[in-house]
Amino acid sequence: MNASSASVGRPDFRTLLQGRADALRPWTQPGHLRATAMNVAVIFLGAGLYGAAMGWWREPLQGFYVAIKFPLVILLTTLGNALLNAMLAPLLGLNINFRQSLLAILMSFAIAAAILGAFSPLAAFVVWNAPAMTPDVKSTLTYGVIKLLHVAVIAFAGIAGTVRLFQLLTQLGGSQAVARRVVFAWLAGNLFLGSQLTWIARPFIGSPQLPVVFLRDTAFQGNFYENIFQTLQHFLQPD
Amino acid sequence: MNETNPTGPLIPPQIPTRPARLPLGENPEERQPIPNVLAAAEAMLRQPRRVMYQLQQPGSGRLIAAMLLLVVLCAAIYGVVVGTFSYGTQLWAAPVKIAGGLLVSALICLPSLYIFTCLSGSQARLVEVFGLVTGLLLLTTILLIGFAPVAWLFSQSTNSLAWMGTLHLVFWGIATVFGLRFLETGFSHSKARSSAGLNTWVVIFVLVVLQMSTALRPIVGTADTFFPTEKKFFVTHWGDALKSPNDKSRD
Repeated sequence: MNASSASVGRPDFRTLLQGRADALRPWTQPGHLRATAMNVAVIFLGAGLYGAAMGWWREPLQGFYVAIKFPLVILLTTLGNALLNAMLAPLLGLNINFRQSLLAILMSFAIAAAILGAFSPLAAFVVWNAPAMTPDVKSTLTYGVIKLLHVAVIAFAGIAGTVRLFQLLTQLGGSQAVARRVVFAWLAGNLFLGSQLTWIARPFIGSPQLPVVFLRDTAFQGNFYENIFQTLQHFLQPD
Repeated sequence: MNETNPTGPLIPPQIPTRPARLPLGENPEERQPIPNVLAAAEAMLRQPRRVMYQLQQPGSGRLIAAMLLLVVLCAAIYGVVVGTFSYGTQLWAAPVKIAGGLLVSALICLPSLYIFTCLSGSQARLVEVFGLVTGLLLLTTILLIGFAPVAWLFSQSTNSLAWMGTLHLVFWGIATVFGLRFLETGFSHSKARSSAGLNTWVVIFVLVVLQMSTALRPIVGTADTFFPTEKKFFVTHWGDALKSPNDKSRD
């Protein structure tokens, strides 16, 4: 038995990052608890490290809070949509079971989290070089650049995870068209729920006028989409 | 000199065609009876053709009864989630109204569907048509259960009645699209000559359910009475709901 075939199905970090669909496929089968545990650990570590770098600008305590919140948002999105995603897959032509759909999504998030973790030193370096937060921080160029950096890194990690998920689903279902439909449906659902969970878990970067807290008192008041709607309304009808 | 063309004769590549629709029951798995309620739910998602085949068999009444039971259960569970927006009496009123409203809407629309299927040349019996409508409701309500965690999260995060009403309508709309797909697939196996009648019925069904949601209001918010005191067309009701301020205590 050569090294390559031996590595197939054995959960290790390298296989996860390589994203070879044939090697990852056995991870979605029963009896791969180690792979599941590794995915969860990678999400906690990778997203946690990036979250710490994100919140550190406001205060180290904020960094600690975000290090916990960011992985939780990812895991709660995965679990919150698990049932729906498992129902949508067969309806869209991919006959996989609940476990397989859950683990496939978990795996794609783990890949995204690993990328985020890899970028966390870079984010920390940028934050370390940034001047301390001032009350007018949100109108400064530094704030804009840092926010844009976070958006770019998170988007890149998300896209990479999605591409791997697409490859895995193509392998599981044998059809690119079906995999495309399922990935699109899953993405739409995860984006919808994930945005709201992120809204509830705010602040991430933090604001100097507001105290450092794990969750704001207003966490469950209003929602992400209402806020976007109100902002649009404000732009369209300034009076 | 060898005159054989090494690339072979020039035959244009075959354009893949959609596989012909196999008759129901062709696959031995489809002929396996559905023993219980849970198997019915599983089959609706993974083997819808098995459900369609079983609905065509004599004695499908038991399967339909099991499916109806599941519809009521799933609608009630989603109804509880809808009720968590206002709590109080809505925790039992919303499930009752959603489950009851869906069943009554289906019953109101059943005769017209049967007439349309007969007019289009379908061989389906009334019990099969009833079974297909039950399948439509079952798939819709099962999918609503999938949406329930998301709906619950939003109902805890907002006071806006318009927002929650819209969200529930969107979820119901997505779930209904899948349910109607099941109905249309089942209908396509009934030797009908045209699907125009079914398409018309789909519009009627959607309008009836939307009007039912207005006739049974409040489902999302609260009111002093169980049923509304004023009759309204659903479009008027939506317009009024959008104009009203964010408040959980309005219908």
